[in-house]
Amino acid sequence: MELRIFQIIVPLIALFFIANVIYSFRKSQITITETIFGGLFWLATLIFALFPDFFSTQIAKIFGIESNVNAIIFFCIGLLFFNQFKMYLIIRKQEKNLTFLTRELALKNHAEENEV
Amino acid sequence: MIRKSEIHIFIPAFNEASTIGHVIRSLQQLDYQNIKVIDDGSTDQTDHKAMAAGATVIRHFINRGAGAATQTAIEYARTSNCSYLLLMDADGQHLAKDLKKLVEQMEKGNSDIVIGSRFLHPAVAMPGSRKWLNYLGNQLTNLMCQQKYTDSQSGFRMLNRRAIGSLNLTLDEFGFCSEMLFLAEKANLKIAEVPIEAVYTPYSLQKGQNFFTGVQTAFSFLRRILLR
Repeated sequence: MELRIFQIIVPLIALFFIANVIYSFRKSQITITETIFGGLFWLATLIFALFPDFFSTQIAKIFGIESNVNAIIFFCIGLLFFNQFKMYLIIRKQEKNLTFLTRELALKNHAEENEV
Repeated sequence: MIRKSEIHIFIPAFNEASTIGHVIRSLQQLDYQNIKVIDDGSTDQTDHKAMAAGATVIRHFINRGAGAATQTAIEYARTSNCSYLLLMDADGQHLAKDLKKLVEQMEKGNSDIVIGSRFLHPAVAMPGSRKWLNYLGNQLTNLMCQQKYTDSQSGFRMLNRRAIGSLNLTLDEFGFCSEMLFLAEKANLKIAEVPIEAVYTPYSLQKGQNFFTGVQTAFSFLRRILLR
């Protein structure tokens, strides 16, 4: 099997990120769910990069897309949407926390001002 | 008989320095003394003007929205054991004299929440663009609620202790108006509406919701209902 240049670079990048996911989990920076999803995502990327023609043809067949290049584009768009949704949920959670902190601080400051 | 001293008036305000003093003084003239301004991160000295007019100020250090400010008022009322909480807009749109109507309805109607409805008043002074926004807000709210409301987006509201104890708003922006009704129905609270007057000035029309914030409000309310 003749390896193209991206079939070497992409798996190396994927391996780096898998190591990073494991490291983050060991440092308790991410949850077990995030570790599993992150690990699986980069593992899939690694395998996909090693056998691009096989997987793109399979995806094209499954979804009834004629060209395997189109299949890759659709797949990537799907991933981007997933990532966008994930970001949206994170921002919402942060906004909620920020509001909670703002309210708590306002009431605490008011109580302290009244005590003085 | 509800005494004026039992009513705690909360005015959520964001950059309302030009009107807040007038709103507070109009309430004081009618002998309402428990007036608190929830300053939602204003940058125009709203807090100073409110204090100068004689109100107590609870200050959000950053702007979080009308819903967040309202929830701060509810939480304050809950922890301070307030008997009645009254919410009023800071832009001068609501008239202090109408407060009596809400109080009377609360007394006679055995209600937990009384809403001041701008659409029940015979002379609706609302401009056309606002009417449309409010119409859409009402339709959406009425679709999700059991009771039918004529002014689901009104910021002039009175809550009794039961309502204060059971409401926990989650929407930071204007969607809280509909959310409050939705949550109140879930908690089996009794809700009534009374007619009130509303004064629209170029200033008050600048504030509040426009078409885009109205769409955002609708989406946030729907998201709250569907993803709860």
